[in-house]
Amino acid sequence: MVRFLLALIVATPLLGATLTVRVSDARGRAVSDAVVYALPEGRQLPLEKKTAMMDQKNRMFIPHVLAVQTGTSVNFPNNDDVRHHVYSFSPAKTFQLPLYKGTPANPEVFDRAGVVTLGCNIHDQMSAFIVVVDTPYFAKTVNGAAELADVDAGRYTVHVWYPDMRTEPRPRSIAVTAGERVSLTFVAGRPNVRP
Amino acid sequence: MSARSFQARLLYLLIAVLAIAETGTLVSVHYAGQRAIKRTVDDELSVGTRVFDRVLEMRARTLADQLRVLVSDFAFRDTIAIADLKTITSALENHGKRIGADVVVLIDLDGNVKTDTVRGRWQGKPFPFATMFRQADDRAGDASATVTFAGQPYQFVIVPVLAPRPIAYIAAGFAIDERVLADVARVSSLDVSIWTSPPRGRATNPDFASLVHPLRTGDGSRVNALLQRSLAEARKPFTLLEQQIFALSAIVLIAAVFAAVLFARTVSRPLQVLAAGAGRIGRGEYEQPVVLKQEDELGQLAGAFNSMQSAIAAREEQIMFQATHDSLTGLPNRKLFLDRMAAAIAAAKRTRGTAGMVMMDVDRFKEINDTLGHQFGDQLLIEIGRRLTQTFPNGTIARLGGDEFAVLIDHERDVTERVEAAFEQPVVLGDVSIDVNASLGIATYPEHADDAGTLLRRADVAMYDAKRNQSGVAVYDLGRDEHSVRRLSLMTDLRQAIARDELELYFQPKVDVRTEQVLHAEALVRWNHTAHGVMRPDEFIPLAEQSGRIGLITKWVIRKAIAQCAAWRADGLDLTVAVNLSALDLFDSELPTFISGLLSEAGLPPEKLLLEITESAIMKDAAYAQKVLRDLKRRGMCLAIDDFGTGYSSLAHLKRLPVDELKIDKSFVLNLSEKASDDLVIVRSTIELGHNMGLTVIAEGVESAEAWRVLKDLGCDMAQGYFMSAPLPASKFRDWVLRGRLR
Repeated sequence: MVRFLLALIVATPLLGATLTVRVSDARGRAVSDAVVYALPEGRQLPLEKKTAMMDQKNRMFIPHVLAVQTGTSVNFPNNDDVRHHVYSFSPAKTFQLPLYKGTPANPEVFDRAGVVTLGCNIHDQMSAFIVVVDTPYFAKTVNGAAELADVDAGRYTVHVWYPDMRTEPRPRSIAVTAGERVSLTFVAGRPNVRP
Repeated sequence: MSARSFQARLLYLLIAVLAIAETGTLVSVHYAGQRAIKRTVDDELSVGTRVFDRVLEMRARTLADQLRVLVSDFAFRDTIAIADLKTITSALENHGKRIGADVVVLIDLDGNVKTDTVRGRWQGKPFPFATMFRQADDRAGDASATVTFAGQPYQFVIVPVLAPRPIAYIAAGFAIDERVLADVARVSSLDVSIWTSPPRGRATNPDFASLVHPLRTGDGSRVNALLQRSLAEARKPFTLLEQQIFALSAIVLIAAVFAAVLFARTVSRPLQVLAAGAGRIGRGEYEQPVVLKQEDELGQLAGAFNSMQSAIAAREEQIMFQATHDSLTGLPNRKLFLDRMAAAIAAAKRTRGTAGMVMMDVDRFKEINDTLGHQFGDQLLIEIGRRLTQTFPNGTIARLGGDEFAVLIDHERDVTERVEAAFEQPVVLGDVSIDVNASLGIATYPEHADDAGTLLRRADVAMYDAKRNQSGVAVYDLGRDEHSVRRLSLMTDLRQAIARDELELYFQPKVDVRTEQVLHAEALVRWNHTAHGVMRPDEFIPLAEQSGRIGLITKWVIRKAIAQCAAWRADGLDLTVAVNLSALDLFDSELPTFISGLLSEAGLPPEKLLLEITESAIMKDAAYAQKVLRDLKRRGMCLAIDDFGTGYSSLAHLKRLPVDELKIDKSFVLNLSEKASDDLVIVRSTIELGHNMGLTVIAEGVESAEAWRVLKDLGCDMAQGYFMSAPLPASKFRDWVLRGRLR
């Protein structure tokens, strides 16, 4: 019976593995908006010309956390009726979009991996993060869980980042095979434990 | 005002009470002030610490705000984020100046110093004030603390550099300098200093209240604020208050002293007036009343003084009157009379006039008193006083005592007539009418005496002379008084005469007329007075009788006479001795026994003693005399009646008396002759009477041969007198008898 069930799962028509990652903080609470990403070990995945959007509405950046693959062009449309002055002093991408309305003509290209902290120079409460990762396998947790689907077989280092974490949970190295379903649990501030 | 006067004591008391009260007030104000100062100063210091903390806190907040504003500058953040270290350092210096920071430090998120404005002393090292950093890092916010940096107290603030997430921290340090302390001082009015070492010397300055306030530091270092309050400054209002109270106390004290002096005067003035009044009363001045015109107790006291004064005056007058007046008649008494007499003599001396007095004694007053009663006697005296007063309306009439009155006169003219006129009419009291006869004695100044006492005595002497002479009135006879004086001293001397053996017995023979034989020897006593010479019995026997010493003399005489008789008898001379007894001797009931004892002692037959008693002595108390005489007769002694013919004795009396002999008084014999018919008749009838009663009759005072012859013719039994012999001393008498012949 167990064998049959496993066979059913394995027999699902998927190309790659599926990584289910759970993130909780030191107190065991589920962490949302945590970016989970798997970096292939020992190889470089090809860049893709992707676009993403960081909207500004109601004097907020939407989304609060935006994960993009390296090389992604991000548009910063201003949907408020006031101007914004978007800036970043983050080493991964230092830029500024001086006071503007609407969508700037050119999107910003994020071609270095790293966390880019966004702010608005005239609205101190506005902040957002663009997590630039060198992998197409990334996802954001919802209610503490995120799923990386269709991950090619191979060895990966799985990272977790979220804005208010005190220290980055130790990345986990893991090898996946096609169609495999792997669950990982990260507990911020605690050594990760394999299930 | 003496130190013990009422006024002074009131003053001292008031000053003492006020001084104590005011000192108490001052002391309590002073201590309350001290406490208030201490409390105020403590409060101020305590407030000061809060002010200090508050000022630092406000400053920290302000600085943090300024720093936050500073680091939110986009260009600054840009610089921090991307510029090289040198640029960053210069930007720190530049921006630090804007807010007046002394030190600016850039700290990375791990708490390590990236750069600083103090020449990189901390670069690459953890930020030294780690606690503060952790505070800021935990909240991604700002923090501030007081710390010690380079040995100086500093306020450090730390703020995150937000982009918009913290990318670094900027810390800025501000020295806590004079401006900060001045702020605190201005608000708290304290002297403020700040110390990173213990502020020893300054904190113990006695002129200041000091409080060491340890500040909360972020690095564990010791930073103390020293808050000080000048005590002189704090005391200033209280010192002023104390001065005011002191001045007020002085004013109150002076005012109270004035009030006390005024009040004391209102009391002491009247008291002085009262004291003066009391002094006057004490001296016996009653005319001036105490004048005190006030209605209070002192006024009442003055009234009481005045009534006391008049009461005392009235009483004293009454006492004076009683002391100087006779209570029965209301006339002046002896004392007042003497005073007025003295005054009258003094006046007479001045005016070369005369003064004098009449002394008056009511004859037979004792008889009247005894017969008619004392009440009658008193009424009589009052009436006599009244008549004298009428007679001499302007004179002084005095009752000297008993029935003696005295009248003060200017001269003796017509005085006797006036007194006699006064008593011409008999005094009628009730249904008794009585003739008043008085003896008057007159003595005048300057003839008889020049002082009142002597004048009174001499008037007395004159009065007695008048009484004796039954002349009614007598003026003092100069020299009369000398006799009185002699009499007085004799009275005294007589007491010692017997003891000194100054008395001597003389004997006078009593001769038988028919046989011319000496039968009896009459013993007569002589007094050999040292001053006055030999004194005869009639000179001193009355004195002895008056002074009660006659008994001693009689006994002495009887003893001597018996002894002499016994001696003669032993010598072959058989005589009877005759001794005179006084009237008073008859009242001595011991005398008969005494005589019997002496007779038997001497071995003398009692009939050899003849006792002679005067007729008047027997008549004084005939019944008693008769008893005594019987007793003597029973004892065998012979008795004779002396001075017969002068004592009004009745034949009935004579018949009853147990006598042996009658002696005819010499007044009948002295001038006896055949021609003197009166005396001859008396002598003859007396002899016949005596013989008829079986008595021996003897005549004394025989001084002439004629008398002797007449007596012989009349048949008289015996004779005695100078014709035969004067009284002789015992030895001469014996010789005379032995010669056996008459003169």
